[in-house]
Amino acid sequence: MAQLTAPAHVQPPIRRGEVNRATARIRSTPGRMVLVMLVLLLVGLLAGIAWVIGSSQRSSSAGGARTGSGELAVQAQELYRALSDADATAAIAFLSSGVEPAELRNRYQSDVAAATAALAAVANGGASDKAAIEQISAQLPVYTGLVETARSYNRQGYPVGSAYLREASGLMRGQLLVAAQRLYDSEAAALQRERDDAASLPWLALLLGIGLVAGLVRAARQLSRQTHRTFNVGLLAATLVAVVMVVWNGVGWAVVAQHISAANREGSRQVELLAKARIAALTARADEALTLVARGSGAAFEKDYVAQLGALVNGDNSSGLLNRARAAATDGSVRTSVDSAISDVNAWLAVHKKLRAADDGGDFPGAVKLAIGGETDSASTIFNRLDGVLASAIRSTGAVSDKRGYQQRIAEYR
Amino acid sequence: MTTTRMRVTQGLAGAVLLALLAACAATTDKATAPASSFAPAQPVGVKNPAEIPSAAAGSQNTCDVRHSSLRPVPGNPATGPTLSAIRSRGRLVVGVDQNTYLFGYRDPASGQIVGFDVDILREVAFDLFGDRNAIQFTAITSAQRIPAILNKQVDLVAETMTINCERLQQVDFSSVYFEAGQRVLVPKDSTATGIADLGGKNVCAADGSTSIRNIAAAASKPVPVSVPDWTDCLVLLQQGQVAAISTDDTILQGLAAQDPNVKLVGDKFTDEPYGIAVNKSANDLLRFVNGTLERIRSDGTWQAIYTRQLKAAAPNPPPAGYRD
Repeated sequence: MAQLTAPAHVQPPIRRGEVNRATARIRSTPGRMVLVMLVLLLVGLLAGIAWVIGSSQRSSSAGGARTGSGELAVQAQELYRALSDADATAAIAFLSSGVEPAELRNRYQSDVAAATAALAAVANGGASDKAAIEQISAQLPVYTGLVETARSYNRQGYPVGSAYLREASGLMRGQLLVAAQRLYDSEAAALQRERDDAASLPWLALLLGIGLVAGLVRAARQLSRQTHRTFNVGLLAATLVAVVMVVWNGVGWAVVAQHISAANREGSRQVELLAKARIAALTARADEALTLVARGSGAAFEKDYVAQLGALVNGDNSSGLLNRARAAATDGSVRTSVDSAISDVNAWLAVHKKLRAADDGGDFPGAVKLAIGGETDSASTIFNRLDGVLASAIRSTGAVSDKRGYQQRIAEYR
Repeated sequence: MTTTRMRVTQGLAGAVLLALLAACAATTDKATAPASSFAPAQPVGVKNPAEIPSAAAGSQNTCDVRHSSLRPVPGNPATGPTLSAIRSRGRLVVGVDQNTYLFGYRDPASGQIVGFDVDILREVAFDLFGDRNAIQFTAITSAQRIPAILNKQVDLVAETMTINCERLQQVDFSSVYFEAGQRVLVPKDSTATGIADLGGKNVCAADGSTSIRNIAAAASKPVPVSVPDWTDCLVLLQQGQVAAISTDDTILQGLAAQDPNVKLVGDKFTDEPYGIAVNKSANDLLRFVNGTLERIRSDGTWQAIYTRQLKAAAPNPPPAGYRD
């Protein structure tokens, strides 16, 4: 098609006499018809190009939402989770007399490994908040160093160990988790932008398509008036093709936008609520342990524990994170998981009350046993069950939203 | 032919490798990241400079701290409103430190709170109930000692607490059960030989302690830095964030026992007589505690506790003095 316009370039320089002849030729009926055809051809070409470029851009935005920003947001969330899990685990491990159990040691180590891997993935993925990545890279080794110092002092029986652990936890909560949160927020915002792009109306292609149809209809009417024939087969076919293109374009967009909003509604919001709930539970667990580790200066941790559990399930059973996650759940198995998480939170609160009563009453060993013991009704057992239930709810919500949202949408773009 | 081609291929491979290496080197050069500096990790609640606890006007040196307590009743009978309330409860409730090595700390191996102060309090429980375990420990920080007594959260506080005139306006104290004095703890390689050499340097002590005020009042003008717990001071010293820790020699000995790379320097530059704090409304309890202290001074228990907890030969216990 491009060849049709090419000869214009090779024409010899135009002289005055030739210009007059050219205008005369255009004014003649066949000349005008050729001109109209050329214009329609150009509009058709542009509409096609706009459609192809627009749809490939939206497709890459959708693909980006799934692989690029989507993956970055997932990794940033994993970074936050791993860091707060490390904080909680280090504090819990500290409560056990003498040497910490191997299970807790392993959990802490895999948390640090997971955090490092997620940080590397976020950094390599080109996350926008470079300052946050730099800060976490610089301070995570400092944090682990403080925890190890705390451990070695604790093994020797020196109380300065708990001072190091408190400093480590202060660094984690005051600096590292704040930076990780910032990182996640910026990635979540980028993901939302890409989703909006993918769902944006392909207005240029639609406009040109509609213009093309209108032009074709007008040309057909003019032609039929001039030639006294009802239909020109070529123009009719072209009009039909243009109409099909516009309808296809519009319907395709509507379907995709609907799927993206479904992915938003069903997937992202649910996953985000559940992930927030899991992190609140982790923070509360660290608070519970640190209240005991802090040895007398733990009132602030206890206050935070109450706040975190209040954020999970609140009194009116509607505005807590888990209450909202339950209301948003579209899948039966997810709803069941959230229900069991809510009952775990209530059970945990009850044990915590007993634990605080024991500690405040001077029965420190009894309080520690309730906090980290392996009994079925210990805070440790209940917390581990809660964490597991939330993790699996996040996994299945993600899978459901993938099935209904992303994959289908991407298939449509191909 | 084949050999030539191989040589050419090898040459090409070498060139490509070189180019790659050069590219790598170039990127490493570019990647020398800006040396961004982040503030060093610090204990939660550190204050630099510290808030200096204000002395109530006219309260200094207007009382006799060594003769401020009440004389025990002969035979030390456990009678009186406070004592009968404690007896019906079945246990003594006391406030202690969990972080002051040697005086009051939780032994990580056993999970129990142990130390000199703890053992003295167990003797009071023994005289009251015939059982050294009829006692409930509440861990409190230095700054919480007086509030815990005022709001009756605990019956007694024994937490390396200096008897002074200002505190005597709020709580009562037992007779002196330990003589301490403020000294200075520095790293082994420090050239400082006392508080006089620490002008302009950061010197650490616990929030709300008399040590903070003494540091601020020193003629050499050190910068007082406060933290919630004494062990936080050791963390700061080990991390090079303070030049010295200055407080009672007892506490400093406990810190020095946890780190062989520090030393105690200088003479005692203050007198810190320790007493057990009691609510002003509990005179029966105050006399009873003094009765226990009389007993352990005379029957050798005080010396035994000293040797067991401080791992040194015991001096003579400090003499008791009463206002009546």
